[in-house]
Amino acid sequence: MSHREHLLSGEALGQRYALAVPQTALAGMTGSQLGRRAGTSIDFQDYREYQPGDDLRTIDWNVFARTDRLTIKLFREEVNPHLDLVLDASRSMALENTPKSAATLRLAALLGTAAENGHCTHATWLAGDGFQRAANDTMLPSAWDGLAFTSRRPLDEAFTILPPRLRRLGIRVLISDLMWPVEPLSILRRLADGAAAVFVVQLLAQADTEPPEHGNIQLVDSETGEEREIFVDATVAAQFRDALARHRESWDAACRQTGARFVSLVAEKLDASLPALEEAQLLVPA
Amino acid sequence: MPFLTYPLALLAAAALPALAAIYILRNRYRRREVSSLMLWEFAVLSREGGAKVNKLQLPLVFFLELIALALLVTAATGPRWQLPAHARPLVVILDDSASMLASDGAASNTLPANSPRTKAAAALDDLLKSRKFLSIRLVLAGPKPRVLGSAVTTAPEVRELLAQWTCQSPDSALDAAVALANDLGGPQSQLLVLTDHASPGSEFTGNRIQWWAFGATQPNLAFVNATRTTHGEADRVLLEVANYSASASASAAYRITSGSNLLRSATLTLEPRARQRLILNLPASTPAIEATLATDALAADNRITLLPAVRKRIRVQNSLEDATLRSLVDKALDSTGLRSSLFAAPELILHNARATPAGTNAWGLRLLTHTNNLAAHTGPFIVDTAHPLARGLALDGVVWTAGAPGTNQFGLPIVTAGNTPLLSATEDALGRQQITLHLVPDRSTLSATPNWPILFWNLLTWRARETPGLVESNFRLGSEVAVRALTNSAQLTLPSGATRVLTKTAEEFVLEPETSGLHTVTAGVSKWQFAVNLLAPEESDLANAKTGKWGEWERPEETRREYSSVLWLFVLGALVVMVTHLFLVTHSKGRV
Repeated sequence: MSHREHLLSGEALGQRYALAVPQTALAGMTGSQLGRRAGTSIDFQDYREYQPGDDLRTIDWNVFARTDRLTIKLFREEVNPHLDLVLDASRSMALENTPKSAATLRLAALLGTAAENGHCTHATWLAGDGFQRAANDTMLPSAWDGLAFTSRRPLDEAFTILPPRLRRLGIRVLISDLMWPVEPLSILRRLADGAAAVFVVQLLAQADTEPPEHGNIQLVDSETGEEREIFVDATVAAQFRDALARHRESWDAACRQTGARFVSLVAEKLDASLPALEEAQLLVPA
Repeated sequence: MPFLTYPLALLAAAALPALAAIYILRNRYRRREVSSLMLWEFAVLSREGGAKVNKLQLPLVFFLELIALALLVTAATGPRWQLPAHARPLVVILDDSASMLASDGAASNTLPANSPRTKAAAALDDLLKSRKFLSIRLVLAGPKPRVLGSAVTTAPEVRELLAQWTCQSPDSALDAAVALANDLGGPQSQLLVLTDHASPGSEFTGNRIQWWAFGATQPNLAFVNATRTTHGEADRVLLEVANYSASASASAAYRITSGSNLLRSATLTLEPRARQRLILNLPASTPAIEATLATDALAADNRITLLPAVRKRIRVQNSLEDATLRSLVDKALDSTGLRSSLFAAPELILHNARATPAGTNAWGLRLLTHTNNLAAHTGPFIVDTAHPLARGLALDGVVWTAGAPGTNQFGLPIVTAGNTPLLSATEDALGRQQITLHLVPDRSTLSATPNWPILFWNLLTWRARETPGLVESNFRLGSEVAVRALTNSAQLTLPSGATRVLTKTAEEFVLEPETSGLHTVTAGVSKWQFAVNLLAPEESDLANAKTGKWGEWERPEETRREYSSVLWLFVLGALVVMVTHLFLVTHSKGRV
């Protein structure tokens, strides 16, 4: 299947969901949702004394008649919340012999569609040699283009080379396998800076979670090409599982520390894992 | 290449590369791409830190299998290894002749303390204490070699077997005994000859045979001949004494007794290597006599026992029709001294009738004196000299006139003239001999020659031999004794009192006495006694007895060429390796 087909598949899947927008995320360009600030909607918010420069049309003349004081009426603003979708575009997300890249595309398309359903604007960032937006990323996911998982750089280097211009008070979702040896907080702090909400979705292939069968294995790093020859036995397999669990725990702890939410999914079981995204309050049924 | 001559080894060797291929394939690394090596850092560290452990486990099993296969391949080639000297079998040849009992002290019939036999037994005992042998077998070298018991391994077992080494034989066939020992022990065996004289040659020594002699040159007087024969109505005793001293003349007292009666007692003086005969005429009724010499080096040849000579006489019935001829035959019969009075059924009937005479025990001699087609034969006569009737006949110059026989109905010809049988014999269904003599006496000269009584002496002797009992009563040790009996079983009583059951061969019991002294054969109600005396001049002659050792067993260059199979060692090694392999595999929890 091509990328387009995976995106279409994710788009179809996302029709059932809408992005769950937290109150803190109600900011942005004029839109269809009520924002936190005063605006031009018809929903009354508050009164305050007139100050020079205020629109004379907002003066409540009834109050002036009773109190002889110039008082203006404040109305809620109407905004469109924003979703910044950050995709790890490293080669590990297209691990050979796994549906990892397909699941990434499907999940991104699902979230993009859910954002559309939630009247949110959205942008899709590819973390490769710096952050770049995907072509046509403001359109429906099936129109996205330029999604390639070919980078050999980890995410932290991409932040260093060219950081993304993420919308303030936007919802930020990172989709990655998180397979690089770096302190999670350094990434999360950058993501959480000015964000209304941050979600970290770890998407792993089944092969990432289970060690190989016993025997001599030559491991090849999909990003660096580095090779290691090891003998896998029961002990080594157990050590691998422990290392993976510790890695997840470190990200989960860092997420809690920064107010982000951490969800781990398995590519082969993506459809069955979607309730986990609802539990994390990223998606709500449409 | 010798290896190619072992198909099994070749097949097993093919497993070696197969095993190596299995391990090479097993050790190949499967390639697998992973998202990152960060989760395997511990494994990399572990592998680097514990690499030796992992590498050791694999090669250990591999090398164990390789070693097991190599051992089996080697085993399939039938490996042979040097045989240590002490692991060889030993075959001891024991000289069983009487001279092994010679003693320089007071001789006795028991084992003298300083006899060659005693010294040899002690030397053998010392040898067995100082060296170990795979097995020990004993071969007794008498007139015929005989294996003594089965193979043993310890000195006490050998001592037990040596009790049968009695040294009573008149001769020792050591060459035949060595040949038997060689066959018995095989090519790896070591042979030891224990005797009292020197090795006859280098073929009896060498790297496999040791020849140990324990004899000593000593003067010795011995009876070397002793007979007691009939001499008319008396018995004539002949004794021959030899002095086997190398240099000095010797004197010895001798006694001849019969029971408690002293028949003669005197002193003999003999020059070195000289012999002297003693002749004694005794009444035939004299029972067994015993002759003894004074004690000297060898006791066995100082005592002689002689029983009365056997006198078998035949009851003859002369039924010839012609009085002249009958008288002529009677004279010849009487001259033999073998005719007894006719007090019972005849054992031989002389007649002219064509029919076979009656009587189950009677032989017949038919004289055919008919005058039809007479022919006077003057020779040459064809005589079957092997026949008992023809012994001693000399027919040159004899005129033998006989009528021509009608048909060849007279059995086996013994004397013929051309194709005319003159004397023939046949055996009838009852085992009786029927003899036919064609002779016209008044026209022949046979009855006027010595052949006439000889012929009848032969006839009576032959008949006497066919009667139950012994032919002689005195034998040399080692000679064969034949006893004719009507029964199918008989019992021999030895001088020691022990008895032995005899087996009948053809019509008689044949035995070879192994000891000197009086023996008794009992068959049914009949009982016969005979005496056996050593009478072995070569054993009595101790002039050639020697002490010494010849030959060596251990020659390193010979030992190196002798190998023994060690197949079992390699198979055992392979088993041990496989058990170790199994232990490692089962206790490694699948890590190998």
